[in-house]
Parts: sequence; structure tokens; C-alpha cells
Amino acid sequence: MPWLICLVICSLFRNPIIRYKVAKLNHHELIQFILCIGAMLIAARLVGEFFRKFKMPLVVGELIAGVLLGPTLLGKYFPLISSYFYESHGNVGIALNGLTTISVIMLLFVAGMEVELSVIRQSGSVAFKTSLIGLIIPLALGFVTAYFMGQYLGHTNQSTLIPFSLFIGTAMAVSALPVIARTLMDLKLFRTRIGMIIIAAAMFDDLVGWILFSVVLGMMDQSGGGVDFVKTLGLTLLYAIGMLTAGRFLINKSLPWAEKNFSWPGGFLSISLGMAFLGAAFTEFAGIHAIFGAFIMGIAIGDSVHVTEKAREIVHQFVTNIFAPLFFISVGFKVDFLANLDIVMVTLVLFLAVFCKLLGAGLGALWGGLSTKEALAVGFGMNARGAMEIILATLALQAKLISEPLFVAIVIMAVLTSVMAGPMLQLLLKPDSVPLFSTLAGDSTPSQD
Amino acid sequence: MIDVEIPFRKIAVAVAFSPRCEALLAEAKLLQDRLESKMVFVHVGKKSLQEEQYLKHLLHRFGLDLPQNRIIWEEGEPVETILQVCQREEIDLLVAGALEKEGLVKYFLGGVSRKLSRRVKCSMLMLTEPSIHPAGFKHLVVEGSDHPKSDFTIAAAIAVGRAFQVEALDIIQETDLSKMALLRHEELKQSEAEEIKEKFLQEEDQKLEDILSCKDCSGLTINTERIEGKPGYVITKFAREKKADLLVLNSPDKQMGIIDRVFPHDIEYALADLPCNLLIVQEPNYSV
Repeated sequence: MPWLICLVICSLFRNPIIRYKVAKLNHHELIQFILCIGAMLIAARLVGEFFRKFKMPLVVGELIAGVLLGPTLLGKYFPLISSYFYESHGNVGIALNGLTTISVIMLLFVAGMEVELSVIRQSGSVAFKTSLIGLIIPLALGFVTAYFMGQYLGHTNQSTLIPFSLFIGTAMAVSALPVIARTLMDLKLFRTRIGMIIIAAAMFDDLVGWILFSVVLGMMDQSGGGVDFVKTLGLTLLYAIGMLTAGRFLINKSLPWAEKNFSWPGGFLSISLGMAFLGAAFTEFAGIHAIFGAFIMGIAIGDSVHVTEKAREIVHQFVTNIFAPLFFISVGFKVDFLANLDIVMVTLVLFLAVFCKLLGAGLGALWGGLSTKEALAVGFGMNARGAMEIILATLALQAKLISEPLFVAIVIMAVLTSVMAGPMLQLLLKPDSVPLFSTLAGDSTPSQD
Repeated sequence: MIDVEIPFRKIAVAVAFSPRCEALLAEAKLLQDRLESKMVFVHVGKKSLQEEQYLKHLLHRFGLDLPQNRIIWEEGEPVETILQVCQREEIDLLVAGALEKEGLVKYFLGGVSRKLSRRVKCSMLMLTEPSIHPAGFKHLVVEGSDHPKSDFTIAAAIAVGRAFQVEALDIIQETDLSKMALLRHEELKQSEAEEIKEKFLQEEDQKLEDILSCKDCSGLTINTERIEGKPGYVITKFAREKKADLLVLNSPDKQMGIIDRVFPHDIEYALADLPCNLLIVQEPNYSV
């Protein structure tokens, strides 16, 4: 850890702005900043809860709150009122942007904590094949489509064609673990063999997808840190391998000491989030996006045997109820959804996403020995993109990798794929057909995968 | 549901002429008496008259020179050779001595007995402190996790428990709540989340109850307990805290590699630092 802190501090003090200029919000700006946070939190919760009544994910409501209050609707007709919810210009805009960046770092940290390396490692051959093919095919098809049909996806800058194509491939490959888990739970499939296949495969795809996406963002942001690509790659690999091996080991060894000497699990919240930010700062310094550092740190900390359910719960509640709403509602403030709604693009993105995932994950599951119906169910299960896709798209928009219409198309795709996962799984795996799959728990019949 | 008498009819003992050899054979004698099994003594190394006579002397001394018992001398790489013998001889249980803890490098590279435990296709008993005056097993801690293999493992543990007339047999249900954390979704109310968790746990309890109801547990004090935490780690910790003398675990679904030590498989938590003797139960004909 000390080397990591030193590197980050050194990199910061190389920046003359930080050394000489102290900027702060004036009285009016400070009030507006605080007002925005309060208003965003309450609006996100109210609209989120409204949509929850209709069995829609909370994130959909939070997003729509931003759309309603942002430039799409309220901002268009009553910009002054809208600015009390979110201000994208001036010092307040910078402060809010910083806050949403912190939010996304924490969201990725929590996403990392949900990845269980041992689950991926212990998953059987069906899960492995499903995840592998479910990753390769969407990635390849997404890349090829974007590379040759980039203009239909609103991409015109030839100099960023490779990162753009890689991004589309990655966007097609990722899946939303929490949405999938919730859908499987609703259908009572969570603890079945097929449920575990979907979960393990989704974890693997997320892991690779986020690593890839961080590299793509790094490719886009070569000017920022002044670190060349080889050095970036070297530092990234060093960080990832170091954190997932020696770092994980050290964290596991030090947590009991911290638990003994600090107030717990409150101490866990500050230590774990502190480490997440240090990791994020390091990868940002290395030239890879900060989210990568937080994601890997999440995996390393979440894997420890000493992290109790209560500690996880505290981190999860803190991040998902404060920072996630701030982030998702801010998404709606960044773009005019109606002005940028391109039905053709939405259809293309939706078709590409569903087709790629069904084909990839479905073929993988078929290769693993599942029936066609089961394989289709796996495909639809992994098709849910949810919040992760929205985060991905927002970061890509911020990095100017994608256009606003494509951003809107991806967000709509993320919502629709999440909403369709449940009904499709239910259709394919009706309750009477569930016993066809030997459950991990109850069926003593030897599994054949 | 499985109800087995004694699942270990043919036992192989890996014999090395180490300081613990005599103690290991004394333990083997007790196992043979209690489990009424045939024994095969496997030694990997060049056969010399001196060593052959020494082994025969030891077997005679511990009353193991019975007609149904055999000695197999083989040359070659110890782990590979023992694995081949186990397969060829259709061994049900392999017995070997094991250090409680190995150095970091040795752990990652694997000593003979840990290497065997990761690759053997039959059940394996690792004895951490074999004694020349074996006391048998008094307190068993058994894995009762929500897994298809647990039924056979519990049956085997009950059979061993009855043979050794153990004083306590704890069946531990490990609940990996980090998996359930995936369900900890923001749209769930606290009461809903609790309800789901409760339902899951009830399902697990019912399954264990069903398994136990089919077993002849007469004469045994069986205690079932649920522990939340990382599978493999919590049961190992429990066995250590309770000073159990035999920890009984399901065999892994696949052969363990070095990656399973870097990103620990459940059983690796036990192998990293054995809390007591370890019995890894392999259900015959189980395939993954």
C-alpha cells in the first residue's frame, strides 16, 4: 500500500493547479450544490419508489427522474427550476461532476465485491463454456458491426474507430449481475443448476468486460496522464495481478487485526472505501480509468473470509442508497433524451444486444450440454444489462467515445433487456419444467455437465 | 437418500519409512478393527530386503499381517504411483499422514499427502497426529452444505461415527451469504430480504432433515448447526474451536490445481492449515 499512496501523491503534486490555486464554491454556489444533492436524492427516491410499485428496478425510476427533471422535459421549459436539481455548468457543475465520479467509483467497488473468484473457478464446464462463448461472440459481433457500420451508430471520427468498436463489443458482452440474480430469485431459479450457471457465467463476463472497458477508456485518454501505453499496460497488469494475489492475501491477513482494533463494522466502511479510492487513484494515474482500480479492489476485499455479511450490508446500503441514485439521476441531466432519440439506432442497438447475447450465451450453454430451451433461457438470463450498461454508456459519453443518440439507445437497451429477462425466463422455464434441471441442492442424481 | 453401512471396504495406507510410520500403522490397525476393512500397504521406493523385513516386522507387531491384507511395493514418482495403485486396486479410502501446516512454498507446490488429496479419486483420510496408542475419533465435524454430495458424506460420517462410537457428531451447514448478497437489491425492503433469506435457510434445513431422517443414527449424538460465512473456512474454524478430532468434507467436484490455492477452493481452507484429522469423502461413481 505505501508505494501506491506515494505514487498517487507524487502524481498529484506534479499538477501546478493543485499546488498554487485554491478554488472554492462561493456562498451562493455552495447553497446550490447542497440543494442539488438533496433534491436529487429525494427526487430519485420518489420516482424510483413509484416505478418499484410496477415491479420495475429502482434504477429505472432514478434514471427517469433525471429525464423528467433534466433537459428533456423540465429543463427545456423551466431551466431555472431544473438547475436547482442539477447544474452542469460553472463551479457547481464541476463539484457535481466530481460527486458523480466518486459515485461511479463506489458503484464499481460494490460490483467488484459481488464477483466471487471462487464461484467462477469452481463453476462447471457448462458455466465456463457459456461465459466464454457468451463473451467472445457478443464482443466479436459488436466490434465487427461497429467497425463496419459505425455511421449507423453515430460514429464519424475515424481516429477513434478501434476504441469505439471495442466499446460496442464490450457493451454487448457485459451483463447485470444484480438484475439477473433478482430475476432468478423471483422465478425461484436462483439456487438451481441453471441459475448457478447463469450467475457464474455473468460474473466471468463482467470481470472480463470491465477490464476490457477500462483499457478502452485508457486508449481514449492517453493525453491525460502523460503515461505511455506500454507503461499503462504494465502498471495495470501489475496492479491487477498484485491486488488479486498478494494484495488479497495481505487484506485477508490484516482484516482481523483491524476488526480487533477499530470500531467494526463501521471501520470496515471507511477502510474499504478508502482503499477503493486509493486503487482508483492509482489506475487513473496509470492511464486506465479510476473505475478499474475500484473494481479490482472490490474483488480483493470482497473475497476475504473475514468480511462479514453485516459489513457487506453496510457498504452496500451506503453506496446503493446514496451514491447510486445520485449517479443514475445525473445521467438523465446530461442528455436531452427526446431530442437524441433515434428509433433506428435504438432498434439496431437492441437487436444487436439481444442477438449477440442469445447467440453467444446460448451456443455456449448448448456446447456445455444443455437443451435448446435451457440454452435459450441462459441466453435471456444473461441478456439483462441493467445498471452496469448504463454506467458503461455514461463513462463512454463522458470520454466522448459515443454520441448522445447512441448513449440514449444504449440506456433504452439496458432498461428493455432487464425488463424482458424475467418474462422470457418464465416463459421458457415454466414452474412445471423447473424440476427438469437438477438443483444444486436437492437432486442427488449425479450431474452430467 | 443414501444409507451406507461402512463405505470403506478396502483401505490403502501410504507407508513411508518416516518417524511417524509406526504411529500410522497403529492407526491403520484401529481403522481395520473398527471398519472391518481389507488393507493394502503401499510403499513407493526401491525394494530392499532390509526394508521389506522391517515393514513385515511392523505389520506383525501391530497385528496387521492378516491374510486379507497385502503389501504393494512400487517404484516411481510417489504421488503418481499411489494414485495408480488406488485406481488399479479399487481402493475406497486412502490413508496418509499429513502435517497440520506446510510452509508457504511447500503448500503452493504441494507435499505428497496434499497432492494426493487434491487428485485422488477415492476418499482420503489425512492423519495429522497419528499416535502409537491411537484413541480413535471422539468428535466429528461433518459438512452438511447444500450440495448433492452431502448426502453420501453424511452417511459415511455416520457410519464412521458408529464404528468409533463417537461422543459428538456435528453437522455444519455453511451458508455463504455473499451469494445471497446478490439478492440484496435496493428494491427489496428489509422485511422482504429477511423473508427470502429465511425461506432459503428453511429449505436447506428441510433438506438436511430429510437426509438425516433416512439414516440410522442410533447411539449417536448428532447436533446440526448453521454457520454463516465462506464455505470451507467456517467449518475449518469451527472444527478447530471445538477441538474436533475428525473433520469430514465433501470431495471437490474437480481436481484441484495451483489456481485453487491462489483463489481458494472451499477445501483449500482446510488443507492450508488442517485443524485436525481430515476425511475427504468421495462418492463412488459421482461425476460432475
